[in-house]
Amino acid sequence: MDEFFEIAKTDFLATFEGAWMFPLLLLCAVLILWKEPDRTRKLLIGLLPLTAVFIYWFPPTGMFLMKVLGENIYWRILWLILVAVTIPYALCLLLRKCSGLRRQAAFLLCLALVALCGTPLLASEEFLDSTNEYKIPQYVIEVCDLLPENIHAMVSNRLLPYIRQYDTSITLEYARNAFDSALLEEGRSNVEKLYLEMQEDEIDLSYLAPLAKEEGCTFIVLSNTRTYIGEWEDYGYEKYASTADFDIFVDMDYEEGQDTRKWED
Amino acid sequence: MRLEILLTALLYFGGTCLTGYAVRRLLKLKKEGLLFSVALGAFCWWALMELILVPMTMKFASFSSFVVIYSVAIALLSLAGLLCWRDIQEDVKELAGNWRKYLTLGHVVALLLIVIELWFIHHHMYLEWDDTYYVNLANVAISSDKIYWVYPETGIQVDLDKRYMLSLWPIFYAWLSKLFGVVPTIMAHTIMPWLMIPLAYVIYVLIGKRLFEDDVQLQGMFLAFAVLIHLFMSGEHTTGLTFLAITPWVGKGILAGIIIPGLFYWILRAVRDGGTANWMMLGITGLGGCLTSSVGIMLTPLFVGIAVFLLTLQTKKIRYLAYGILSCLPCILLGLYYIPLTH
Repeated sequence: MDEFFEIAKTDFLATFEGAWMFPLLLLCAVLILWKEPDRTRKLLIGLLPLTAVFIYWFPPTGMFLMKVLGENIYWRILWLILVAVTIPYALCLLLRKCSGLRRQAAFLLCLALVALCGTPLLASEEFLDSTNEYKIPQYVIEVCDLLPENIHAMVSNRLLPYIRQYDTSITLEYARNAFDSALLEEGRSNVEKLYLEMQEDEIDLSYLAPLAKEEGCTFIVLSNTRTYIGEWEDYGYEKYASTADFDIFVDMDYEEGQDTRKWED
Repeated sequence: MRLEILLTALLYFGGTCLTGYAVRRLLKLKKEGLLFSVALGAFCWWALMELILVPMTMKFASFSSFVVIYSVAIALLSLAGLLCWRDIQEDVKELAGNWRKYLTLGHVVALLLIVIELWFIHHHMYLEWDDTYYVNLANVAISSDKIYWVYPETGIQVDLDKRYMLSLWPIFYAWLSKLFGVVPTIMAHTIMPWLMIPLAYVIYVLIGKRLFEDDVQLQGMFLAFAVLIHLFMSGEHTTGLTFLAITPWVGKGILAGIIIPGLFYWILRAVRDGGTANWMMLGITGLGGCLTSSVGIMLTPLFVGIAVFLLTLQTKKIRYLAYGILSCLPCILLGLYYIPLTH
C-alpha cells in the first residue's frame, strides 16, 4: 500500500507540480457540477475527470490498474482527465453570462488566467534550434557523413540514440539499453564488457580493441576528449577520420565498400 | 521540404476527408461538415490499419506488401468518398456561405496560437529518447522491408519485445514515407507535426461545436482555451497533452492528444443523438487507439467504461453499458490476445 501511494504521489506530482493547473481543474469541475443545468454534461465534463482522479488515488482500483499497466506507466491513467475540455468548458460557462465587449474582455482575462496557472511549454530548455531536417544533433550527421554504409560500429553514448535515425545501414554493437543491462547483469558478455570499457575515462586498448575485433566492430567512434592506454595501431585499428567532437577508428582489415553489418537474414 | 509537407498534408487531409464522406454515407451521418469528415476519416484510417497490420505482422509479411494492401484500401475508400460529391458540395457551399461567422475573437486567437505552435515546432527540435526505438522501427521497415522483426535500436535481428506488436504506430509514418520518398526520421520530426497538431485541434473544434451549438463565439473561445492549455500544461514529460506539442509523432501523444478526446466526442454524440453510428465510431476510434500505443488497448476501454458506467448510474438505462462494452469489443479482444503474447 505504501509503495502504491509513493508511486502514485511521485507520478501525480511529476504531472501537476510547479503549476496551478490541477487546482484550476478542480475548481472548474466543481463549477460545472454546480452551474451546469444539463445533467449529462455535468456528468461527462464535471464528474468524469473527478472519477478518473478518484480511480487513480483509490487503493483498490489504483493497485489493480498498477498491476495491469505496470508501475512505470501508471501515470498514464491521468491522461483520462480531459483537462483541455473541463477547464475550457467551465470558463465558457462563465463567459456565456456576458455579451458584447464585456465577454471579449473577460475572455482575454481568462486566457491570462490559464497562462498564469500553467507553465509555458515552448519555453522549455529541451527545445533546441533545429539545424537539419532530420531534427537530430548536427554532430551526429557530421559523423554519419564520414562513415561508409553497411558497417557494424560501436559508438559513443552521445551518438547511440541518433546514429541509426540518420543511417539505418549502420548496425550498432549495443544500444541505449546497454545503460541498464551492462551495469546490472552479473554474467558479463563481450558486449557488456565492451560497454563498460567504453565508459572508462582512460580506455585500455589492450582490453577493448581485441574484444571489439572479435565482435566484428569495424568502426569505433569516440569523443575526441577520450584518452587511451596504448596505441590503436598496435591492436589492429587506425584513425579513419575526425569531426569537431569525435574521432573515428577503423579495423585495419576493413576493405572499402565491405559489408560488415551484423544482420542475420 | 515545404513541398513534401504540402503534398503529405494534401494526401492526408484530402484522403481522410474523402474517406470520412464515404463512411458518413454508410452511417447516414448527414450535414456534419468538412472537419467532421476529416476526423472521422482519420479514425477509420487508423482502425483499418490496425486490422490489416496486426495479422500481417504475425504472418511475417513484408513491409512493401503492407504498403500495397493498405494503399489500395485507402485509395478505394477515398474513391468511394468522391462518389459522395453531392454531400461534399453541400458542405463546401455551407462553409463558403457562412465562413464569416467564424471570424470571432476566439477563433482568431486559437488560429494564431496554432500557427505559433506549428512555426515553433517546425524551427526547433525536441530530442525524444524513445525515438531511437520508434522512429528507427519505421526506418528499419523501409530499409529491411520487414515489419518489426529487426531490433530497431541496433539493427540486429533478435527476439522482440512483444508488447508493441499490436501497436505499431511508426509503421503509419513509414507508410507515408514510402509514398512520398521521404526518410521516416524526417517524416516523423518535420512533417508529422503538420498533420497531427491540426488534427488534434479539429477534434476540439468538433467538441466545441457540440457543446455550444448556438453560440459560435463560445465555440471559438472554447477552442482557444483548449489550444492554450496544450501550450501551458504542466508536467512536460508525463502529461498526455504536452506530448502533442513536444513530440506529435509519438504514438502515445496521438493516444492522449487525439484518440482520448475523440472517444469523448463520440460518447457526447452518442448520448445526445443516440443511434448506432456514434457507438460504431466510438468502437472504430478505440481500435485506432490500439494502433497508437499498447497502453491504448487498456486505456480506451477504461475511459469508455468509466463514462458509460456513470451514464448508466445516472440514467438507469443499461443500454449505455451494453453499447459501451460492444464498442470496446475490438480493444477487449486485442487485450485478451495481448496478455498471452506478453506473458
